[in-house]
Amino acid sequence: MSQSPNETWSVTVVIPEESSLDGAGETHTIDVAEDETILAAARSAGIWLQADCQQGWCTTCAARLIDGEVIHPNARRYYNEDREAGYVLSCTAKPRADSTLVVDQYDDFLEFRATNDKPPGNSKLSD
Amino acid sequence: MSEQKEHGSGAIEPGDTSKRVGAEVIRERGVDPAELREKLIDAIGAEFTTYYYYTNLRMHLAGEEDYKEITEDARLEDRAHFELVVPRVYELEGSLPNDIRDFADRASCPDAEVPTPMDDGGNFDTSDLEVADILEVLLEAERCAIRTWSEICDMTRGADPRTYDMAQRILNEEMDHEAWFIELLSKERDGEINPAGHFARGEPGDAPYTKNTQFNDSA
Repeated sequence: MSQSPNETWSVTVVIPEESSLDGAGETHTIDVAEDETILAAARSAGIWLQADCQQGWCTTCAARLIDGEVIHPNARRYYNEDREAGYVLSCTAKPRADSTLVVDQYDDFLEFRATNDKPPGNSKLSD
Repeated sequence: MSEQKEHGSGAIEPGDTSKRVGAEVIRERGVDPAELREKLIDAIGAEFTTYYYYTNLRMHLAGEEDYKEITEDARLEDRAHFELVVPRVYELEGSLPNDIRDFADRASCPDAEVPTPMDDGGNFDTSDLEVADILEVLLEAERCAIRTWSEICDMTRGADPRTYDMAQRILNEEMDHEAWFIELLSKERDGEINPAGHFARGEPGDAPYTKNTQFNDSA
């Protein structure tokens, strides 16, 4: 499907029951412009998702893409393995289709990065 | 013979040196001291790597002495932030990684590298290096630091006044730094006057918020 420039996509944000976020167990659908990050759109919509660097580096904002398509044009540390496994960094992720993602996946993502010998998983979990 | 007196109360037995009340009071207020400590290590990893990378960035501002001096202020203040918080990591029963590569890898902000590739001789290829590009790297590094220390302020507010005090002091200086680099980049890249509202530090790397009370002299 193709859309015109500056079109918005519908992004469904699933906050797991076990999450420590205030909205644990909730699902929200938000509009995200193609030049907007999912994190920024969520926070603008009053959905507080965790994040730190907001430059696609620290991985605090890691999420799982269940459906749809996103790109990470400005992420500083995002690997092909991440994409192939369905992980996204919501701080830099911009939708290119209607999408659904499960947020608050930081701990799982650290394990995944460590398994793939990629930072910061290996340095954070080696203690 | 005097009556034996109680020396304390709470979850830690009197005389027990295996635990710290300084950590338990934070836990009692809803913050996991270990989680906070690990976040602090990530944050000061970023301050430390920034100190390193700013050395390189500063050097490559050739002929721009005013930019160099301001970058030097930010560089030295980032080191001051590292120094300020290191003791807190140990108070919270943590330690710095033994391997500096681990420390850099887990830093909460990206490497602030000189924005130019290396040439075949292993030196920076400076043929297309623009001052504005260096200023943008500096600006984005400061913005990352603002986000990090804001997160730590959020995490500690109302639960850990000692760490909160450190984080808000650092945050003050990081916001100064952002304002400096917005001013410089606006002028250099866009020809726009966008004042920081500040004048120069008294001495290089003065760190007026994080060093002014000298409460960390023992570190």
